[in-house]
Amino acid sequence: MSVKIDTPIDPATANDSPIPTTLTRRGFVQVGGALFVSLALPAAFSACTKRSPVASGNQLDPALLASWLEIRSDNTILARTGRTETGTGMSSYYAQAIAEELNVRPETISLILGDTDRTPDGGYSAGFIFGMANVRKVAAYTYQALLGLAAAQFGVPVSSLSVVDGVVSGGGKSLSYGHLVQGQHLDLKIPIIGKLAKVDPSEGSGISGLDGFSVTGDPPMKPMSQFKVMGTSFPVPGIPAKVTGKTQWSCDISVPGMLHARMVRPPTLGSTLISVGVLDKRQFPSAEIVGKGNLLAVVSPNEWEAIGAAQAVAASTKWTEWAGLPGSENLTKTLRERKWGAPSESRGNAAEVTAALAGAPKTISVSYEQPYVRHAPIGPFVAVADVRSDGGVTVWTHSSQSQGLRAQIANTLSVPMEKVVVRWLEHSGQYGRTTFGGDGAEGDAVILSKLTGKPVRVQWTLEEDLAWSSVSPGWVADLKAGMDAKGHVVALHTAEYAPHQQDARLLGAILAGMPCSTSKPRTWVTEEWPYDKIPHVLRESHGMPNLAAESAGGGLRGNIMRTPGQRQQVFALEGLINEAAAAAKADPIQFRIEHTSEQRLIDVLNATAKAAGWKSRQSPHSGARRTGTSPVTGRGVCVVFRNNAYWVGIAEVAVTPATGSVRATKFTIGADCGKIINPRQLDRCMKSGVVMGLSEALKEEVTFDKSQVTSKNWNSYKILTMAEVPEIKVVQISRDDKGFGGGSEAANAVVPQAVAAAIFDATGVQPRRMPMRAEYMTALLKEAAGG
Amino acid sequence: MPGELTLTVNGAKQVVSAAPDTPLLFVLRNELKLTGPRLGCGMAQCGACAVLLNGEEIRSCVTAVSDAVGKKVTTIEGLPEIWAGQKGLNPADAAATLHPVQQAWIDEQVPQCGYCQSGMMIVAVELLAKNPNPTVAQIKDAFTHKPPSPHLCRCGTYAAIIDAVQRAAKTMKA
Repeated sequence: MSVKIDTPIDPATANDSPIPTTLTRRGFVQVGGALFVSLALPAAFSACTKRSPVASGNQLDPALLASWLEIRSDNTILARTGRTETGTGMSSYYAQAIAEELNVRPETISLILGDTDRTPDGGYSAGFIFGMANVRKVAAYTYQALLGLAAAQFGVPVSSLSVVDGVVSGGGKSLSYGHLVQGQHLDLKIPIIGKLAKVDPSEGSGISGLDGFSVTGDPPMKPMSQFKVMGTSFPVPGIPAKVTGKTQWSCDISVPGMLHARMVRPPTLGSTLISVGVLDKRQFPSAEIVGKGNLLAVVSPNEWEAIGAAQAVAASTKWTEWAGLPGSENLTKTLRERKWGAPSESRGNAAEVTAALAGAPKTISVSYEQPYVRHAPIGPFVAVADVRSDGGVTVWTHSSQSQGLRAQIANTLSVPMEKVVVRWLEHSGQYGRTTFGGDGAEGDAVILSKLTGKPVRVQWTLEEDLAWSSVSPGWVADLKAGMDAKGHVVALHTAEYAPHQQDARLLGAILAGMPCSTSKPRTWVTEEWPYDKIPHVLRESHGMPNLAAESAGGGLRGNIMRTPGQRQQVFALEGLINEAAAAAKADPIQFRIEHTSEQRLIDVLNATAKAAGWKSRQSPHSGARRTGTSPVTGRGVCVVFRNNAYWVGIAEVAVTPATGSVRATKFTIGADCGKIINPRQLDRCMKSGVVMGLSEALKEEVTFDKSQVTSKNWNSYKILTMAEVPEIKVVQISRDDKGFGGGSEAANAVVPQAVAAAIFDATGVQPRRMPMRAEYMTALLKEAAGG
Repeated sequence: MPGELTLTVNGAKQVVSAAPDTPLLFVLRNELKLTGPRLGCGMAQCGACAVLLNGEEIRSCVTAVSDAVGKKVTTIEGLPEIWAGQKGLNPADAAATLHPVQQAWIDEQVPQCGYCQSGMMIVAVELLAKNPNPTVAQIKDAFTHKPPSPHLCRCGTYAAIIDAVQRAAKTMKA
């Protein structure tokens, strides 16, 4: 029977809602009972998103799709989303958002994340704000349905009900949510639009539907000013299990009959296989060689045997020679010599900006650059795959885009999407590299499982990960600013040149010569721009394919990395703003305030400056010097506007001119990301983001010779250590009037230019390249001092 | 060739069948199903695999299982028992009590992805056994300069780790 819901939602006015919310009682049950909240697919979408019923989809009726929420008779709540936890605390934010709208305690909510057969919506970790808006709406619709049930039971209008900690009261009666659903099987359908991720050559990354389904309509939502759970430091749920060793990580998966694989990679990015090496069965009795095309591996039931056998086979395997890379020392020259043609994206009016620059009394022209850097997690890629004879495929992964990975695997194996199940588990952070569902060991694992007919676990080595996983491409940028007589920037032209960063192919599929997603060699201009008082701005971004794209291994596969695009463009743009401030003899913070009317930015600039003890003056400071064996100090600032959040970084450094060494002594980071969901976790993410930003500013560079990546371990790809962490101060501004903003990602991007500006303040010399290592700084200071 | 080896892991005798040159890490993970220590670099450069061997932090990815015979191996799974032993807790209290380092890691909300944190807690336990009241400089030194390599965290949780070590130090002195 259908139950009429007494609800203020009017389907006629709900935004593009094709199907009204419906609550149905499917039946009565002897034990338990629950309200299941599932998505109502518009007919137009159902054909392309058909999913197989799965045993784990629904507690009471396995034939039903995975529900979004389950309100259970024991007063617990199960929430499911295809999005994942990548270490930023999203699992707590989702629980908080749902708890807020349902008026329950967040600890009553448990989450299933990322499993394609047990979650309904797709989506990915990078789309957190979108994902949270979704789960809030799911909870808000559910809340209305629960109120409707209570109103019917109590015989009172919904408007007379109140809810505290999941207990509904009205008309002198009280019942918990659990009691309301006791003994029943209720099914609430809520309207959605969108599509699940699929391989799509029309997209730049080769994958569409990254955000999955979104909930439509406008259920009543709690105003921010009445939040009780959001804005509190609810602990991240998975931490106790991680700390006690109880978490099951993706590297811990073991399935019956599973083989351990170690890959035998080509010696260069472009080598092809000539002959497979020898496997000594007396030494490695259980090991077998498996391969397809240039994909080669050794498998064994014993991991240590697989390791030894793979090394032995690698030593005697023959590959063609190849040398098609320019060498990292020639990267800038290579990018400079390329004929780029038209930009792949351009924002602004070229004629206006050209005229304004020509008419400006003073212009500044500078170039910035950065080599390749990479995500470099502590745990290398690992995956387990089981490709069965019935055509079913199960993959255990730590990809941050389960649906996208599912689409990639279906594409590579040429099987229908519904044959593939991706199960997500926690593992090392990805920092963006799996956002499009690619990269990773999953390609290797499914191909090897198909070839052996057994489940296969593929564990990459660190050297393999640092040599073969995707990279954040190097870039060069040319910038020109026109300033008026008062030192105000009136025109700006920026042009960035870089290989693209959307290659989501699975390495195993490339090497095996199997179908891969495609990507486009374009780059983009970051949309958000904090300086509305600069009247004429032209920004251009030029893209190109991967370096050595035509090689057998696909070249240096460019991929996005934390704060993608903006991380790079901010270093150059904010560098230019710092240089313009110096040219105008202005305090760099005051100079920024004069170029924006955005009060949020002005407020967070002032608050961060105050916390840092910033004294208004121009850079460089009066004691700046380029020589000497004692350290000289300086301070610098950088701003980022991204995803409805304003970020300010203030770096303090000590530079030793004689050695070129740069030490960060203090970093103050401020953020206004709208309503703060979880202050303590934001504090943690802001501080850790500073660490990653300092690492990129001072240390990181992927090196390569003409054949292969050469920075293949932690001695050659250096990241920041604890001893190098400065005092870090955090400033948070939470507000109820600007929605939610991206509250942790951009913390890294606000660091490098603040450090560069601080070096300028200390020495009078502006670094225009990352990383600002001693050898670069020594050369720069020497050059500035006249050789 | 595999042979039988007797190990003492988290206070219990364990007989395992493994080639003597197998890194301790793979025996702990694959044979004993102790998945606290994890594979990072496999060459003693990151610390994700760290365990205590007779109270000293070692990298289990480069330590042959045969070198652990006759010594006491401790992983994060065994830390509560060490603390219970030190404090003489009765079995009921012991079952409900984590090692102060683990509790501090929870209370200070240290792990982000958490992959490196097992090794980080092992260093903290070793440090606090030797120096119950470390300064920030001494904490940084222990996590960075002690051979064979710094303990690396890519999420960048170093500030949280420093807070947690200081919190654990206070608890352990109380």
